[in-house]
Amino acid sequence: MLNKKNKSLWGERKPLKSSYDAVIVGGGLHGLATAYFLARDHGIKDVAIIEKNYIGFGGAGRNTAIVRANQRTQENVPLYNEALKLWPVLTKELNFNLMFNNCGNLNLMHSEAAMKAARMNVSTAQFLGVESHLLDAKQLKEMEPAINVSEDITYPIHGAMYHPPGGIVRHDAVVWGLAKGAAEYGAEIHQDTEVTAINTEKGRIASVDTTRGKINTSKVLVAAGGYSSAVINRMLGIRLPISALTIQAMVTQPIKPLFDHVISSGAYHVYCNQTLKGEIATGAHMDDWPNYTTQTTAHYIKHQAEALTQFLPCLKGLKFMRIWGGLADMTPDMAPIMDGNDQVEGFFMDCGWGYFGFKSCSSTGKYMAEFMATDEYPDILKPFTMRRFEQHRLMGETAALVNYSADN
Amino acid sequence: MALTITCPVCGKRDGYEFRYGGEDKGPRPDEEGLTPENWCDYVHMNDCVAGIQKEWWYHRDGCGVWFSTHRDTTTNLEISDSEVK
Repeated sequence: MLNKKNKSLWGERKPLKSSYDAVIVGGGLHGLATAYFLARDHGIKDVAIIEKNYIGFGGAGRNTAIVRANQRTQENVPLYNEALKLWPVLTKELNFNLMFNNCGNLNLMHSEAAMKAARMNVSTAQFLGVESHLLDAKQLKEMEPAINVSEDITYPIHGAMYHPPGGIVRHDAVVWGLAKGAAEYGAEIHQDTEVTAINTEKGRIASVDTTRGKINTSKVLVAAGGYSSAVINRMLGIRLPISALTIQAMVTQPIKPLFDHVISSGAYHVYCNQTLKGEIATGAHMDDWPNYTTQTTAHYIKHQAEALTQFLPCLKGLKFMRIWGGLADMTPDMAPIMDGNDQVEGFFMDCGWGYFGFKSCSSTGKYMAEFMATDEYPDILKPFTMRRFEQHRLMGETAALVNYSADN
Repeated sequence: MALTITCPVCGKRDGYEFRYGGEDKGPRPDEEGLTPENWCDYVHMNDCVAGIQKEWWYHRDGCGVWFSTHRDTTTNLEISDSEVK
Protein backbone atom coordinates (compact mmCIF):
# COMPACT_ATOMS: atom_id res chain seq x y z
CA MET A 1 0.00 0.00 0.00
CA LEU A 2 1.40 3.35 -1.03
CA ASN A 3 -0.83 5.22 1.33
CA LYS A 4 -1.08 3.41 4.61
CA LYS A 5 -3.30 6.05 6.17
CA ASN A 6 -5.86 5.43 3.44
CA LYS A 7 -6.71 9.12 3.31
CA SER A 8 -9.78 9.97 1.29
CA LEU A 9 -9.24 11.82 -1.97
CA TRP A 10 -11.89 14.33 -0.96
CA GLY A 11 -10.55 15.03 2.53
CA GLU A 12 -11.50 14.04 6.03
CA ARG A 13 -15.09 13.96 7.23
CA LYS A 14 -15.85 17.34 8.76
CA PRO A 15 -18.54 18.43 11.21
CA LEU A 16 -21.59 19.78 9.43
CA LYS A 17 -21.74 23.58 9.63
CA SER A 18 -24.96 25.40 10.45
CA SER A 19 -24.94 27.32 7.17
CA TYR A 20 -23.59 27.11 3.63
CA ASP A 21 -23.93 29.34 0.57
CA ALA A 22 -25.45 26.39 -1.28
CA VAL A 23 -26.53 22.84 -0.49
CA ILE A 24 -26.50 20.09 -3.10
CA VAL A 25 -28.71 17.07 -2.43
CA GLY A 26 -27.07 14.00 -3.93
CA GLY A 27 -23.41 13.04 -4.23
CA GLY A 28 -23.65 11.79 -7.76
CA LEU A 29 -21.95 13.08 -10.86
CA HIS A 30 -24.32 15.98 -11.50
CA GLY A 31 -24.04 17.24 -7.92
CA LEU A 32 -20.27 16.81 -7.76
CA ALA A 33 -19.78 18.47 -11.16
CA THR A 34 -22.00 21.39 -10.15
CA ALA A 35 -20.00 21.86 -6.93
CA TYR A 36 -16.76 21.74 -8.90
CA PHE A 37 -17.87 24.37 -11.43
CA LEU A 38 -19.48 26.57 -8.74
CA ALA A 39 -16.01 26.89 -7.23
CA ARG A 40 -13.95 26.90 -10.43
CA ASP A 41 -15.99 29.37 -12.46
CA HIS A 42 -17.87 31.43 -9.87
CA GLY A 43 -15.78 31.37 -6.68
CA ILE A 44 -18.64 29.80 -4.70
CA LYS A 45 -16.75 27.39 -2.45
CA ASP A 46 -18.90 27.28 0.67
CA VAL A 47 -20.95 24.37 -0.62
CA ALA A 48 -22.14 21.18 1.10
CA ILE A 49 -22.90 18.06 -0.90
CA ILE A 50 -25.26 15.92 1.17
CA GLU A 51 -25.27 12.25 0.22
CA LYS A 52 -27.46 9.66 1.96
CA ASN A 53 -25.23 6.71 1.08
CA TYR A 54 -21.79 7.22 -0.48
CA ILE A 55 -20.73 9.23 -3.50
CA GLY A 56 -21.41 7.32 -6.69
CA PHE A 57 -23.97 5.04 -4.98
CA GLY A 58 -26.65 5.66 -7.60
CA GLY A 59 -26.54 5.95 -11.36
CA ALA A 60 -23.01 7.41 -11.23
CA GLY A 61 -21.59 4.01 -10.35
CA ARG A 62 -24.12 1.80 -12.12
CA ASN A 63 -24.23 3.09 -15.70
CA THR A 64 -22.47 1.35 -18.58
CA ALA A 65 -20.06 4.28 -19.02
CA ILE A 66 -20.99 5.08 -22.63
CA VAL A 67 -20.50 8.64 -23.85
CA ARG A 68 -21.72 10.11 -27.13
CA ALA A 69 -23.25 13.23 -28.65
CA ASN A 70 -25.48 11.92 -31.45
CA GLN A 71 -28.85 12.66 -29.86
CA ARG A 72 -31.89 13.51 -31.93
CA THR A 73 -32.71 17.18 -31.35
CA GLN A 74 -30.94 20.50 -31.77
CA GLU A 75 -31.45 21.39 -28.11
CA ASN A 76 -29.87 18.21 -26.78
CA VAL A 77 -26.88 17.66 -29.06
CA PRO A 78 -24.85 20.78 -28.05
CA LEU A 79 -25.07 19.92 -24.35
CA TYR A 80 -23.80 16.37 -24.88
CA ASN A 81 -21.20 17.58 -27.36
CA GLU A 82 -19.75 19.96 -24.82
CA ALA A 83 -19.73 17.15 -22.25
CA LEU A 84 -17.83 14.96 -24.70
CA LYS A 85 -15.20 17.66 -25.24
CA LEU A 86 -14.79 18.13 -21.49
CA TRP A 87 -13.42 14.61 -20.76
CA PRO A 88 -9.84 15.31 -21.88
CA VAL A 89 -10.00 18.80 -20.33
CA LEU A 90 -11.17 17.47 -16.96
CA THR A 91 -8.62 14.67 -17.01
CA LYS A 92 -5.90 17.34 -17.11
CA GLU A 93 -7.56 19.83 -14.80
CA LEU A 94 -8.45 17.31 -12.10
CA ASN A 95 -5.07 15.63 -12.50
CA PHE A 96 -6.96 12.35 -12.45
CA ASN A 97 -7.08 9.76 -15.22
CA LEU A 98 -10.72 9.47 -16.32
CA MET A 99 -9.70 6.75 -18.81
CA PHE A 100 -11.58 8.19 -21.78
CA ASN A 101 -11.45 5.47 -24.41
CA ASN A 102 -12.42 7.29 -27.60
CA CYS A 103 -13.43 4.11 -29.43
CA GLY A 104 -16.46 5.49 -31.28
CA ASN A 105 -20.07 4.30 -31.33
CA LEU A 106 -22.00 2.17 -33.79
CA ASN A 107 -25.81 2.21 -33.70
CA LEU A 108 -27.21 -0.70 -35.67
CA MET A 109 -30.22 -0.15 -37.93
CA HIS A 110 -32.58 -3.03 -38.57
CA SER A 111 -35.03 -1.68 -41.16
CA GLU A 112 -35.21 0.83 -44.00
CA ALA A 113 -37.32 3.05 -41.73
CA ALA A 114 -34.53 2.99 -39.15
CA MET A 115 -32.01 3.86 -41.88
CA LYS A 116 -34.16 6.89 -42.77
CA ALA A 117 -34.30 7.91 -39.10
CA ALA A 118 -30.53 7.49 -38.92
CA ARG A 119 -30.12 9.81 -41.92
CA MET A 120 -32.06 12.45 -39.98
CA ASN A 121 -29.92 11.88 -36.89
CA VAL A 122 -26.70 12.06 -38.89
CA SER A 123 -27.87 15.29 -40.57
CA THR A 124 -28.68 16.88 -37.20
CA ALA A 125 -25.24 15.93 -35.90
CA GLN A 126 -23.45 17.21 -38.99
CA PHE A 127 -25.44 20.45 -38.95
CA LEU A 128 -24.30 21.01 -35.37
CA GLY A 129 -20.68 20.16 -36.12
CA VAL A 130 -20.69 16.70 -34.54
CA GLU A 131 -19.03 13.93 -36.55
CA SER A 132 -21.51 11.23 -37.51
CA HIS A 133 -21.77 9.00 -40.59
CA LEU A 134 -24.11 6.45 -42.07
CA LEU A 135 -22.67 3.04 -42.92
CA ASP A 136 -24.23 0.30 -45.01
CA ALA A 137 -24.08 -3.31 -43.84
CA LYS A 138 -20.94 -4.05 -45.88
CA GLN A 139 -19.02 -1.11 -44.40
CA LEU A 140 -20.18 -2.14 -40.94
CA LYS A 141 -18.97 -5.69 -41.48
CA GLU A 142 -15.57 -4.38 -42.57
CA MET A 143 -15.34 -2.31 -39.41
CA GLU A 144 -16.56 -5.02 -37.03
CA PRO A 145 -16.17 -8.48 -38.60
CA ALA A 146 -17.79 -10.20 -35.60
CA ILE A 147 -21.19 -8.70 -36.41
CA ASN A 148 -23.67 -10.95 -38.17
CA VAL A 149 -25.05 -9.04 -41.16
CA SER A 150 -26.80 -12.04 -42.72
CA GLU A 151 -30.56 -12.12 -43.14
CA ASP A 152 -31.12 -15.14 -40.91
CA ILE A 153 -31.77 -13.24 -37.68
CA THR A 154 -34.99 -11.77 -36.29
CA TYR A 155 -33.98 -8.20 -37.16
CA PRO A 156 -31.45 -8.26 -40.02
CA ILE A 157 -28.97 -5.39 -40.02
CA HIS A 158 -29.38 -2.82 -42.79
CA GLY A 159 -26.58 -0.50 -41.73
CA ALA A 160 -25.35 1.61 -38.85
CA MET A 161 -24.83 5.11 -37.60
CA TYR A 162 -21.14 5.65 -36.90
CA HIS A 163 -20.15 8.31 -34.36
CA PRO A 164 -16.34 8.47 -33.98
CA PRO A 165 -16.07 11.08 -31.15
CA GLY A 166 -17.89 8.92 -28.55
CA GLY A 167 -16.70 6.01 -26.50
CA ILE A 168 -16.27 4.91 -22.90
CA VAL A 169 -15.21 6.78 -19.76
CA ARG A 170 -14.40 5.10 -16.44
CA HIS A 171 -17.42 6.25 -14.40
CA ASP A 172 -15.89 5.66 -10.95
CA ALA A 173 -12.88 7.74 -11.93
CA VAL A 174 -15.18 10.63 -12.82
CA VAL A 175 -16.86 10.39 -9.40
CA TRP A 176 -13.52 10.33 -7.58
CA GLY A 177 -11.91 12.97 -9.78
CA LEU A 178 -14.77 15.45 -9.46
CA ALA A 179 -15.04 14.81 -5.69
CA LYS A 180 -11.32 15.45 -5.33
CA GLY A 181 -11.52 18.57 -7.51
CA ALA A 182 -14.53 20.02 -5.68
CA ALA A 183 -13.01 19.27 -2.26
CA GLU A 184 -9.71 20.90 -3.20
CA TYR A 185 -11.63 24.11 -3.86
CA GLY A 186 -13.28 23.82 -0.45
CA ALA A 187 -16.62 22.11 -1.11
CA GLU A 188 -17.58 19.68 1.67
CA ILE A 189 -18.80 16.19 0.85
CA HIS A 190 -20.95 14.74 3.61
CA GLN A 191 -21.61 11.07 2.99
CA ASP A 192 -23.87 8.92 5.13
CA THR A 193 -26.01 12.01 5.74
CA GLU A 194 -29.64 12.19 4.70
CA VAL A 195 -31.66 15.28 3.87
CA THR A 196 -34.96 14.89 5.70
CA ALA A 197 -36.65 18.19 4.80
CA ILE A 198 -36.23 21.25 2.61
CA ASN A 199 -37.73 24.29 4.33
CA THR A 200 -39.06 27.41 2.66
CA GLU A 201 -40.07 30.82 4.00
CA LYS A 202 -42.29 33.13 1.98
CA GLY A 203 -41.63 31.21 -1.21
CA ARG A 204 -37.86 31.14 -0.75
CA ILE A 205 -35.47 28.40 0.29
CA ALA A 206 -34.56 28.88 3.96
CA SER A 207 -32.91 25.74 5.27
CA VAL A 208 -32.40 22.03 4.93
CA ASP A 209 -32.86 19.47 7.72
CA THR A 210 -30.44 16.55 7.74
CA THR A 211 -29.84 13.56 9.96
CA ARG A 212 -26.82 15.48 11.31
CA GLY A 213 -28.52 18.79 11.92
CA LYS A 214 -30.07 21.82 10.29
CA ILE A 215 -28.32 23.84 7.57
CA ASN A 216 -29.35 27.39 6.78
CA THR A 217 -28.97 28.18 3.11
CA SER A 218 -30.63 30.23 0.40
CA LYS A 219 -29.87 27.83 -2.46
CA VAL A 220 -30.62 24.14 -2.84
CA LEU A 221 -29.97 21.94 -5.84
CA VAL A 222 -31.64 18.54 -5.94
CA ALA A 223 -29.55 16.30 -8.18
CA ALA A 224 -30.45 12.96 -6.64
CA GLY A 225 -30.66 10.99 -9.88
CA GLY A 226 -33.50 8.46 -9.94
CA TYR A 227 -34.56 9.50 -6.45
CA SER A 228 -35.03 13.19 -7.37
CA SER A 229 -38.72 13.08 -8.22
CA ALA A 230 -39.63 11.29 -4.97
CA VAL A 231 -37.48 13.68 -2.93
CA ILE A 232 -38.81 16.83 -4.62
CA ASN A 233 -42.45 15.76 -4.27
CA ARG A 234 -42.07 14.63 -0.67
CA MET A 235 -40.13 17.69 0.50
CA LEU A 236 -41.53 20.50 -1.62
CA GLY A 237 -44.81 19.11 -2.89
CA ILE A 238 -43.73 19.63 -6.51
CA ARG A 239 -44.91 16.82 -8.77
CA LEU A 240 -42.72 15.93 -11.74
CA PRO A 241 -43.45 14.27 -15.10
CA ILE A 242 -41.18 11.40 -14.17
CA SER A 243 -41.39 7.62 -13.81
CA ALA A 244 -38.47 6.02 -11.98
CA LEU A 245 -37.72 2.63 -13.49
CA THR A 246 -35.11 -0.01 -12.72
CA ILE A 247 -32.64 -0.60 -15.53
CA GLN A 248 -30.30 -3.58 -15.57
CA ALA A 249 -26.80 -4.16 -16.89
CA MET A 250 -24.40 -7.07 -16.86
CA VAL A 251 -20.88 -8.20 -17.78
CA THR A 252 -19.64 -11.45 -19.29
CA GLN A 253 -16.45 -13.30 -18.48
CA PRO A 254 -13.42 -11.71 -20.19
CA ILE A 255 -12.48 -12.84 -23.71
CA LYS A 256 -9.77 -11.86 -26.20
CA PRO A 257 -10.27 -8.59 -28.10
CA LEU A 258 -13.35 -9.04 -30.26
CA PHE A 259 -14.73 -5.60 -31.10
CA ASP A 260 -13.54 -2.09 -30.40
CA HIS A 261 -16.59 0.17 -30.71
CA VAL A 262 -19.59 0.69 -28.52
CA ILE A 263 -22.29 -1.24 -30.39
CA SER A 264 -25.96 -0.57 -29.75
CA SER A 265 -29.20 -1.73 -31.25
CA GLY A 266 -32.59 -0.16 -30.81
CA ALA A 267 -34.52 -3.12 -32.16
CA TYR A 268 -32.83 -5.56 -29.79
CA HIS A 269 -32.72 -3.07 -26.90
CA VAL A 270 -29.04 -3.82 -26.35
CA TYR A 271 -25.89 -1.78 -26.04
CA CYS A 272 -22.52 -3.35 -25.45
CA ASN A 273 -18.82 -2.65 -25.41
CA GLN A 274 -15.75 -4.69 -24.67
CA THR A 275 -13.96 -3.36 -21.61
CA LEU A 276 -10.19 -2.98 -21.53
CA LYS A 277 -10.19 -6.12 -19.38
CA GLY A 278 -11.99 -8.07 -22.10
CA GLU A 279 -15.45 -8.42 -20.59
CA ILE A 280 -18.51 -7.58 -22.66
CA ALA A 281 -20.33 -4.92 -20.62
CA THR A 282 -23.90 -4.79 -21.82
CA GLY A 283 -26.93 -2.85 -20.87
CA ALA A 284 -30.51 -3.60 -21.24
CA HIS A 285 -34.10 -2.94 -21.38
CA MET A 286 -36.15 -2.13 -18.32
CA ASP A 287 -39.42 -3.12 -16.78
CA ASP A 288 -41.98 -0.37 -17.35
CA TRP A 289 -43.51 -0.28 -13.86
CA PRO A 290 -41.98 2.41 -11.67
CA ASN A 291 -40.01 1.02 -8.73
CA TYR A 292 -37.02 1.79 -6.55
CA THR A 293 -35.88 -1.81 -6.09
CA THR A 294 -32.87 -1.91 -8.46
CA GLN A 295 -33.80 -5.58 -8.62
CA THR A 296 -32.33 -7.81 -11.34
CA THR A 297 -34.34 -10.48 -13.14
CA ALA A 298 -33.72 -13.82 -14.85
CA HIS A 299 -36.08 -12.56 -17.56
CA TYR A 300 -33.56 -9.99 -18.76
CA ILE A 301 -30.50 -12.20 -18.47
CA LYS A 302 -32.26 -14.47 -20.95
CA HIS A 303 -33.37 -11.56 -23.12
CA GLN A 304 -29.84 -10.16 -23.18
CA ALA A 305 -28.27 -13.50 -24.08
CA GLU A 306 -30.76 -14.03 -26.90
CA ALA A 307 -30.41 -10.54 -28.30
CA LEU A 308 -26.61 -10.32 -28.08
CA THR A 309 -26.04 -13.69 -29.73
CA GLN A 310 -28.26 -12.76 -32.66
CA PHE A 311 -26.01 -10.01 -33.93
CA LEU A 312 -22.81 -11.28 -32.27
CA PRO A 313 -23.27 -15.07 -32.66
CA CYS A 314 -19.69 -15.79 -31.58
CA LEU A 315 -20.70 -14.88 -28.01
CA LYS A 316 -22.76 -18.09 -27.72
CA GLY A 317 -21.71 -20.11 -24.69
CA LEU A 318 -20.13 -17.15 -22.92
CA LYS A 319 -21.17 -16.72 -19.28
CA PHE A 320 -22.45 -13.62 -17.54
CA MET A 321 -20.44 -12.96 -14.41
CA ARG A 322 -22.31 -10.12 -12.77
CA ILE A 323 -25.63 -8.34 -13.14
CA TRP A 324 -26.81 -5.21 -11.38
CA GLY A 325 -29.60 -2.67 -11.48
CA GLY A 326 -29.92 1.07 -11.15
CA LEU A 327 -32.61 3.70 -11.53
CA ALA A 328 -33.57 5.61 -14.65
CA ASP A 329 -35.92 8.56 -14.14
CA MET A 330 -37.81 8.73 -17.40
CA THR A 331 -39.69 11.78 -18.69
CA PRO A 332 -42.39 11.59 -21.39
CA ASP A 333 -40.11 13.26 -23.96
CA MET A 334 -36.85 11.47 -23.08
CA ALA A 335 -35.22 14.80 -22.22
CA PRO A 336 -34.12 16.03 -18.80
CA ILE A 337 -35.54 18.76 -16.57
CA MET A 338 -33.09 21.47 -15.55
CA ASP A 339 -34.91 24.31 -13.89
CA GLY A 340 -34.67 26.71 -11.00
CA ASN A 341 -35.97 29.83 -9.25
CA ASP A 342 -39.45 29.07 -10.54
CA GLN A 343 -41.70 27.18 -8.12
CA VAL A 344 -39.56 28.25 -5.16
CA GLU A 345 -36.94 31.02 -5.17
CA GLY A 346 -33.52 29.45 -4.62
CA PHE A 347 -34.63 25.92 -5.50
CA PHE A 348 -32.90 24.25 -8.44
CA MET A 349 -33.45 20.83 -9.92
CA ASP A 350 -31.46 18.69 -12.32
CA CYS A 351 -33.29 15.44 -12.96
CA GLY A 352 -35.26 13.36 -15.45
CA TRP A 353 -32.09 12.20 -17.16
CA GLY A 354 -33.35 8.66 -17.72
CA TYR A 355 -30.31 6.70 -18.79
CA PHE A 356 -28.39 9.72 -20.13
CA GLY A 357 -27.15 11.17 -16.85
CA PHE A 358 -23.60 9.91 -17.12
CA LYS A 359 -22.75 11.22 -20.58
CA SER A 360 -24.10 14.69 -19.75
CA CYS A 361 -22.76 15.26 -16.23
CA SER A 362 -19.80 17.53 -16.97
CA SER A 363 -21.48 20.14 -19.16
CA THR A 364 -24.65 20.06 -17.06
CA GLY A 365 -22.62 20.73 -13.92
CA LYS A 366 -21.04 23.70 -15.64
CA TYR A 367 -24.34 25.28 -16.66
CA MET A 368 -26.24 24.44 -13.47
CA ALA A 369 -23.39 26.11 -11.57
CA GLU A 370 -23.76 29.20 -13.77
CA PHE A 371 -27.51 29.19 -13.16
CA MET A 372 -27.11 28.89 -9.37
CA ALA A 373 -24.33 31.46 -9.16
CA THR A 374 -25.88 34.15 -11.36
CA ASP A 375 -29.61 33.41 -10.98
CA GLU A 376 -29.80 33.76 -14.76
CA TYR A 377 -31.15 30.80 -16.70
CA PRO A 378 -28.40 29.92 -19.24
CA ASP A 379 -29.78 29.88 -22.80
CA ILE A 380 -28.56 26.33 -23.38
CA LEU A 381 -30.69 25.11 -20.43
CA LYS A 382 -33.87 27.07 -21.19
CA PRO A 383 -35.45 24.46 -23.47
CA PHE A 384 -35.28 22.01 -20.54
CA THR A 385 -37.69 23.95 -18.33
CA MET A 386 -40.42 21.98 -16.60
CA ARG A 387 -42.92 24.49 -18.04
CA ARG A 388 -42.52 22.82 -21.45
CA PHE A 389 -45.00 20.15 -20.40
CA GLU A 390 -47.86 22.56 -19.71
CA GLN A 391 -46.92 24.53 -22.83
CA HIS A 392 -47.18 21.38 -24.97
CA ARG A 393 -43.60 21.89 -26.13
CA LEU A 394 -42.32 18.40 -25.46
CA MET A 395 -38.94 17.71 -27.02
CA GLY A 396 -38.51 15.38 -29.96
CA GLU A 397 -36.02 13.07 -28.28
CA THR A 398 -38.59 10.28 -28.39
CA ALA A 399 -37.76 10.17 -32.10
CA ALA A 400 -34.24 9.05 -31.16
CA LEU A 401 -33.37 5.53 -32.23
CA VAL A 402 -34.24 3.94 -28.91
CA ASN A 403 -36.87 5.46 -26.74
CA TYR A 404 -38.49 4.24 -23.65
CA SER A 405 -40.95 5.88 -21.35
CA ALA A 406 -43.56 4.47 -19.02
CA ASP A 407 -45.96 7.18 -20.11
CA ASN A 408 -45.96 6.49 -23.85
CA MET B 1 -40.07 -13.50 -10.67
CA ALA B 2 -39.88 -9.78 -10.44
CA LEU B 3 -43.58 -9.13 -10.13
CA THR B 4 -46.94 -10.80 -9.94
CA ILE B 5 -50.20 -8.95 -10.43
CA THR B 6 -53.65 -10.12 -9.44
CA CYS B 7 -56.11 -9.65 -12.28
CA PRO B 8 -59.70 -9.34 -11.04
CA VAL B 9 -60.77 -11.83 -13.73
CA CYS B 10 -57.84 -14.26 -14.11
CA GLY B 11 -56.28 -14.11 -10.63
CA LYS B 12 -52.59 -13.90 -9.74
CA ARG B 13 -50.44 -13.94 -12.88
CA ASP B 14 -46.89 -13.22 -14.07
CA GLY B 15 -46.34 -9.44 -14.18
CA TYR B 16 -45.00 -9.63 -17.73
CA GLU B 17 -48.52 -10.49 -18.95
CA PHE B 18 -49.59 -6.99 -17.99
CA ARG B 19 -48.97 -3.48 -19.13
CA TYR B 20 -48.49 -0.78 -16.49
CA GLY B 21 -51.02 2.01 -17.04
CA GLY B 22 -49.71 4.81 -14.85
CA GLU B 23 -50.53 6.16 -11.40
CA ASP B 24 -54.22 6.25 -10.54
CA LYS B 25 -54.88 9.99 -10.59
CA GLY B 26 -58.65 9.81 -10.17
CA PRO B 27 -61.22 10.93 -12.73
CA ARG B 28 -60.26 12.97 -15.79
CA PRO B 29 -60.74 16.68 -15.04
CA ASP B 30 -63.83 18.45 -16.42
CA GLU B 31 -63.41 20.26 -19.74
CA GLU B 32 -65.16 23.20 -18.08
CA GLY B 33 -62.55 25.63 -16.76
CA LEU B 34 -59.66 23.38 -17.74
CA THR B 35 -56.30 25.21 -17.74
CA PRO B 36 -53.02 24.07 -19.34
CA GLU B 37 -51.63 23.72 -15.80
CA ASN B 38 -54.24 21.33 -14.44
CA TRP B 39 -54.45 19.38 -17.69
CA CYS B 40 -50.65 18.97 -17.58
CA ASP B 41 -50.90 17.95 -13.94
CA TYR B 42 -53.38 15.21 -14.84
CA VAL B 43 -51.62 13.99 -17.97
CA HIS B 44 -47.93 14.20 -17.07
CA MET B 45 -47.29 14.74 -13.37
CA ASN B 46 -46.62 11.82 -11.05
CA ASP B 47 -46.29 11.43 -7.28
CA CYS B 48 -43.32 9.05 -7.73
CA VAL B 49 -43.96 7.63 -4.27
CA ALA B 50 -41.29 5.42 -2.73
CA GLY B 51 -43.85 3.22 -1.00
CA ILE B 52 -47.43 2.18 -1.67
CA GLN B 53 -49.20 3.68 -4.68
CA LYS B 54 -52.50 3.08 -6.43
CA GLU B 55 -51.98 2.39 -10.12
CA TRP B 56 -53.60 1.17 -13.32
CA TRP B 57 -52.83 -2.15 -15.01
CA TYR B 58 -54.02 -3.72 -18.26
CA HIS B 59 -54.09 -7.50 -18.69
CA ARG B 60 -52.58 -7.26 -22.16
CA ASP B 61 -51.69 -10.93 -22.71
CA GLY B 62 -54.77 -12.16 -20.92
CA CYS B 63 -58.39 -11.16 -20.63
CA GLY B 64 -57.84 -7.51 -21.63
CA VAL B 65 -59.35 -5.93 -18.54
CA TRP B 66 -58.19 -2.58 -17.11
CA PHE B 67 -58.13 -2.34 -13.32
CA SER B 68 -56.37 -0.51 -10.53
CA THR B 69 -54.44 -2.03 -7.67
CA HIS B 70 -51.94 -1.09 -4.95
CA ARG B 71 -48.23 -1.91 -5.11
CA ASP B 72 -45.23 -1.03 -2.99
CA THR B 73 -42.67 0.59 -5.30
CA THR B 74 -39.80 -0.25 -2.94
CA THR B 75 -40.49 -4.02 -2.97
CA ASN B 76 -42.57 -4.60 -6.14
CA LEU B 77 -45.13 -6.46 -4.01
CA GLU B 78 -48.85 -6.04 -4.47
CA ILE B 79 -50.72 -4.74 -1.45
CA SER B 80 -54.30 -5.86 -0.90
CA ASP B 81 -56.87 -3.09 -0.50
CA SER B 82 -57.53 -4.12 3.10
CA GLU B 83 -53.88 -3.50 4.00
CA VAL B 84 -53.87 0.03 2.58
CA LYS B 85 -54.43 2.65 5.23
